[in-house]
Amino acid sequence: MKIKMLIIILISILIFGISLVIGPRIINPFDMDDISREILFFIRAPRAVVAVLMGMALGASGAVLQGILRNPLADPYILGISSGASLSAALAILGGLTFLGTFTVPVFAFTGAVITGGIVGMMGWKKGGLWPERLLLAGVGLSFLFSGLLMLIMSISTDEGLRKAMLWIFGDLSMSEWSRIPYGMAFVTAGTVISVARAKALNALILGDEFTHSLGFSPRKERSVLFVSVGLMTAASVSLGGMIGFIGLLVPHIMRFFIGSDSKLLLPASALGGGALLCIADLISRSILPPMELPAGIITAIIGSPYFLYLLRRKNVLSI
Amino acid sequence: MSSASKPMILELNDVCFSYSKVESLIYNLSFSIGEGEFIGLLGANGSGKSTILKLASGILKPLSGDLRLWGKPLHSYMNRDRAKLISYLPQTLDITVPFTIKELVSMGLYPYDIPPAMSVYDALEMVGLRDKEGAHLADLSGGERRRTFIAMTLLQGAGLLLLDEPLANLDLKYQVELIRLLRKLRKDRNISVVMALHDINIALQFEKVVLIKDGKILGIGPPEYILSEELIRNAFDVDVRIIRQQGEKAYISYENNF
Amino acid sequence: MIKIISLFLLFTIHCSLFTVSYAGEAPKRIISLAPNMTEILFALGLDDNIVGVTSFCDYPEEAKKKQKIGGMSNPSLEAVVSLKPDIVVMTIDGNPKEFEERLRSLKIKTYVFRSKRISELSQGIRDMGTALGVKERADLLAREIETTINKISRGVLQYAPASVKNPSPFAPYPSPEKKILFIIWPEPLIVAGPGSITDDAITIIGGRNIAAKSKSAYPKYSIEEILTQAPDIIFIGRGMGMEKVSQGLLKKLKSVPAIKNKRVFYVSDYLYRLGPRTVKGIEELAGYMEQ
Repeated sequence: MKIKMLIIILISILIFGISLVIGPRIINPFDMDDISREILFFIRAPRAVVAVLMGMALGASGAVLQGILRNPLADPYILGISSGASLSAALAILGGLTFLGTFTVPVFAFTGAVITGGIVGMMGWKKGGLWPERLLLAGVGLSFLFSGLLMLIMSISTDEGLRKAMLWIFGDLSMSEWSRIPYGMAFVTAGTVISVARAKALNALILGDEFTHSLGFSPRKERSVLFVSVGLMTAASVSLGGMIGFIGLLVPHIMRFFIGSDSKLLLPASALGGGALLCIADLISRSILPPMELPAGIITAIIGSPYFLYLLRRKNVLSI
Repeated sequence: MSSASKPMILELNDVCFSYSKVESLIYNLSFSIGEGEFIGLLGANGSGKSTILKLASGILKPLSGDLRLWGKPLHSYMNRDRAKLISYLPQTLDITVPFTIKELVSMGLYPYDIPPAMSVYDALEMVGLRDKEGAHLADLSGGERRRTFIAMTLLQGAGLLLLDEPLANLDLKYQVELIRLLRKLRKDRNISVVMALHDINIALQFEKVVLIKDGKILGIGPPEYILSEELIRNAFDVDVRIIRQQGEKAYISYENNF
Repeated sequence: MIKIISLFLLFTIHCSLFTVSYAGEAPKRIISLAPNMTEILFALGLDDNIVGVTSFCDYPEEAKKKQKIGGMSNPSLEAVVSLKPDIVVMTIDGNPKEFEERLRSLKIKTYVFRSKRISELSQGIRDMGTALGVKERADLLAREIETTINKISRGVLQYAPASVKNPSPFAPYPSPEKKILFIIWPEPLIVAGPGSITDDAITIIGGRNIAAKSKSAYPKYSIEEILTQAPDIIFIGRGMGMEKVSQGLLKKLKSVPAIKNKRVFYVSDYLYRLGPRTVKGIEELAGYMEQ
């Protein structure tokens, strides 16, 4: 397993490196002119870092949520966090709010995500703990409400505003810049570290609350800690670059095939796998039709889903 | 009491519990589990067997009454410390994530910072699953799945095993196998077992039975003394005959119900 | 000139096959289903005849006071029918085709404006004028538009029929080109690409749109490519706090000549609608070219 983990780490680093070099213009890092240097350091590098951070947050969150909700269909977006973020970001975009400069939309998205996570947490809370089914249903219900409101404000806005909001929702990494990265990195790192530190409890939660208790953990406390860390990671990810589908749902399943189900390995592997996948998807999205760019979320879904479907035909992805 | 000489692992005194305010599930329950005891918790569906096991394991907190683990209040233990003393296995083992058998069994080490002397392989060996370490639950028979989790509790090192209907949905062969395994573990490792049951004939094989109806204890003691035809009729709502033959254990016949 | 006339003839014949004509008098009750249609109707002096407009029709001021019948892509059929229009004016560029079919099945007359590009604007207005019985005013407006465009393009520009071989209806500008980028929205970056009115305007003022090779009219554009292509002038559509929203993007682009030489201009949204104000938008861009 250690060797497999090492391979995943090496592949991730390799993909990160490649995504710096390749693009509409191939950059030779040993022989750069001024424009190449600028593109590398101020356009591609922050973009690749954001891709890695978002992918890590989504991959790790997905693995955690599938565990604490005991549902293989769970992903970071099922809790309504993204629809809350989208609604809030769309309000900022369509309302022309700019009082925080280029931070306005990310801050709005983050706030929307955190508030939504809080509401879902409150709805899922009963008898001193979070209940998986309640969380799921609250998340799904809130998603519908927020998507409805989002569609409402989009259908009464101008066609142009609608397009802008749509593009944001599809996910956009092109505006990544260094100034936003420390915030994103703080949340994603904290979330990943907390999750990995609670990996044993997560394994136990997958078996059920009775096992969790029997193995010496408090199921309610552990689920709450993991829920908060996932909420913050997802919120940070959405605010960094909008919604990217697929990764949170399917990367954990793919990684389970490679490295097994033990969360202690699965969480870091899902984080790395998510980061690498988004990095490569972004590389494709900006290089395939230059000078145009495609939303990275489209690419993740198109390259990831067939592979997942192939794996699904094999064993070990689900226990059933 | 004959068992007074043995030290008590877990004592329940006057324990009451309910989920809602309207009706109680468990009324003034008192019994104790001594070291090395093998107790069958017998009762019909919905009689409160699972609730009693959950109270004993500490997942549920009683509304009133007192639970003591080795003389100290059960809920004063840290989760991890309690986990080294009590292990609880729920009735349903539906796990969608494809853990391997080895991964599952080694979760028994979670309460420990320094692993105890027993290894995962020892535990697998003891339950006879040494060759299945890489398999998944879905690949195993019902009896093997139960044994996987028994191995987990062995590694956990708990002296008291609380098992909720471990024999349900098992073929007769696996039922016998599992009871034999638990008896062997009791002998080798001095483990106490409390097992929820609804099969009266199996209960007759236990040294001690707690008969439950509607959250109350109808009787405690060796089955041959407490299990009268009338008491069983009361607990299960069916007519039975207890058939005793010279030199053999008694068994229960239901035939006059059909 | 002959080319232009033949093109006009072609269009006239084409359009008259599909639309109704009001030879003498203008229809009394007109509904407009697009903001640019509303602007043209007002410019043709049909102010009082307009009984309904979309909720996006915000120019001229009086348009806002007219009865609203819904959005451009989702007008309300009931609202339109209940206003008992003599004719409903719509555009192929934004109104759903099914809506026109539905109206016609209800025996409501429609006029569909078919121009999508600046080169087709003046003829579109002439056709519409003819159809609505205000031929002379339409002619006047169309000629005004043509004159202004010809003046801005310094007579070098030739109208040429659009075809498969010649997707841009303009002959190339021969003088030294300025590389221009028109940013519609900075985050995510959307620019004016080939086939857009803005792209036409850039050609008319003698610039070269660096996004001309994109695959769509309003592509999501690569920031790397802008750095590589180094535009001399950047226009940014004004509105919705654009000065602030665009700061992040401009910081990324700080090394391109347009920003080094302070040739970034925030311009009005005239070029987002094909109508009487489109030429003002072209004039505005041309004004910055002179600087």
